[in-house]
Amino acid sequence: MKYAFFPGCVLEGAAKEDFIATVAVAKKLGIQIEELEGWTCCGASHVQDIDPLGVLATNARNIALAEAQGVQLMTVCNTCTLMLREAKNELDRDETQRARVNNILGQAGLKYKGTSDVTHFLWVLIRDYGLNNLKAKVVKPLSGLRVAEYYGCHLLRPAEETGFEDFQIPTSLADVIKAIGATPIDFSRKLDCCGFHAVYPAHDSVMKMTGSINADAAKEGADCVVTPCPLCQMQLDMFQKEAKQYVANDKDMPIIHMSQLIGLALGISPAELGMTKRHMTSTAALNRFVGA
Amino acid sequence: MRQITYNIHRYNEGRSYVQTYSFDYEPDRTILWGLQKIKDTIDPTLTFIAACRSAVCGACSIKVNGQAMLGCESKIDDITERFGSDTIEIAPIGNFDVIRDLAVDWEAKVNRLKTVAPWIFMKPEFNRDMGSRQTPEDFKKFVTNTECILCGCCASECNKLSANREDFLDPYVYTKANRFVQDSRDAAPMAHVNPAFENGLWKCVHCMNCISRCPKHLKPAKDISELRAVATKAGLSNKGTRHALAFRDDLIKTGRLNEVTMSLKTDGLVDSAKQGLYAMRLWAHGKINPLELVVPHKPVQGIKDVRTIVKAAEEAER
Repeated sequence: MKYAFFPGCVLEGAAKEDFIATVAVAKKLGIQIEELEGWTCCGASHVQDIDPLGVLATNARNIALAEAQGVQLMTVCNTCTLMLREAKNELDRDETQRARVNNILGQAGLKYKGTSDVTHFLWVLIRDYGLNNLKAKVVKPLSGLRVAEYYGCHLLRPAEETGFEDFQIPTSLADVIKAIGATPIDFSRKLDCCGFHAVYPAHDSVMKMTGSINADAAKEGADCVVTPCPLCQMQLDMFQKEAKQYVANDKDMPIIHMSQLIGLALGISPAELGMTKRHMTSTAALNRFVGA
Repeated sequence: MRQITYNIHRYNEGRSYVQTYSFDYEPDRTILWGLQKIKDTIDPTLTFIAACRSAVCGACSIKVNGQAMLGCESKIDDITERFGSDTIEIAPIGNFDVIRDLAVDWEAKVNRLKTVAPWIFMKPEFNRDMGSRQTPEDFKKFVTNTECILCGCCASECNKLSANREDFLDPYVYTKANRFVQDSRDAAPMAHVNPAFENGLWKCVHCMNCISRCPKHLKPAKDISELRAVATKAGLSNKGTRHALAFRDDLIKTGRLNEVTMSLKTDGLVDSAKQGLYAMRLWAHGKINPLELVVPHKPVQGIKDVRTIVKAAEEAER
């Protein structure tokens, strides 16, 4: 089981801990991931707004680099997943566009063939590795930990681009939470958007969205929120203090990367999962597993 | 006898409540058929709107188990199988004012639609005698968007509208605007782009609910993206534009994003300085490294290829 790992820019920057945790978890599970040499920014949905053909071509290059190794491209960021899958789907569906892009790539001696799939770590764990196999590796079940399942938009929608599960009634994250012995908390805002991509131009609306998600998770009695997306994690975590004021919520809500939560259950130490100083809030229940 | 149950979110003169109705299951019936059955045989006061029953008029949009869809084309069989239950939640579509029960108010929405001048400004070379011909290729650029039936499904779960409707237009408004911007016969694309830009074009949060809900498989979020591209080319700029340009700059420069300089390029010096305390907090938690301001990122392996590709794409666009 081998994948070209596409960490995405945020795992090099504000979410380095997710890089550390993903690599540690994959190693523990025996999933071979090797960082794709020379990967570039997926465009993050922003370059797509101003230079759609340019970023379609650079994403075709990203996928072509994985194709050259004969492996799937695996991401841990929802937006990277969607941007790369949108590019792949467009190139696979539209022969004219594919020829146009290959003409562009040809100038750099590259070619997009369409032979590598783009997948996400969550999907790899379920579809390729198997939940039963994951369960078998758990040495420290997170018994009693109430974990709010927060998916993030770009792993679910648009369904025609993502296609892993029903976007309205997803279960993948809850299934993983159960497999590591924790209790999934279904909350009404689990499918909502954290607002990350518009935090600059729509600041007030985004703070309200961020605050509402955290407040709703707290209302349902969650000890923490887990997300498979480092952008959602960053938004719900880094802006938590400010966002509280927008929804009159004073409860702290730790926001944990999916890789970190799985890592704890696999017996990897919090330090090895980058959890020592980076998570900004905590709750007593979570501290039982992470340490104060 | 198998029973189908509708929990209907009703509203009348300031009072909101959920009312439960059950009726005998019949195969191959639509959600709208169920509503009509209730109205005809159980409760004539139940209010909803429907007309064509053929997914053409867009009147019967409702929320079914939390998701906006057309009642007339949604099968009870599909919904019960998908959600694993014979009990179905029915509510008015979201982000609209409710008049009564499932009937929502379109009057204010039509006024919002007018904001972007959703009509054609005919080029002067066209006239009654010559007509207004265009090539099949030009026709293809906008014809999909003419399929919008103004059902409001794209607006129902739009997370930006839910957070604040005042500084953002409904997704279908941007779709209508783009329909005319992409029409080769239109003489004044900026007459649609400018008001879109002034009314929240860059405030879309990319939640992708609009694309997931459209019964006609239109892509309002893509229309927003295309309008942004046109606006940017025309020189219109705001924080959203600067943010996108910062990403593109980094893609060309090193291949990857520099979060610290991106913030400066987006917010400008003054606004970035206002975020000083916040930045300190991030630094303290190891989330950002101010050194990145002065120590440039190393370009990725193959950066020359990346630059060649971006440049070649730019030339291909011309």
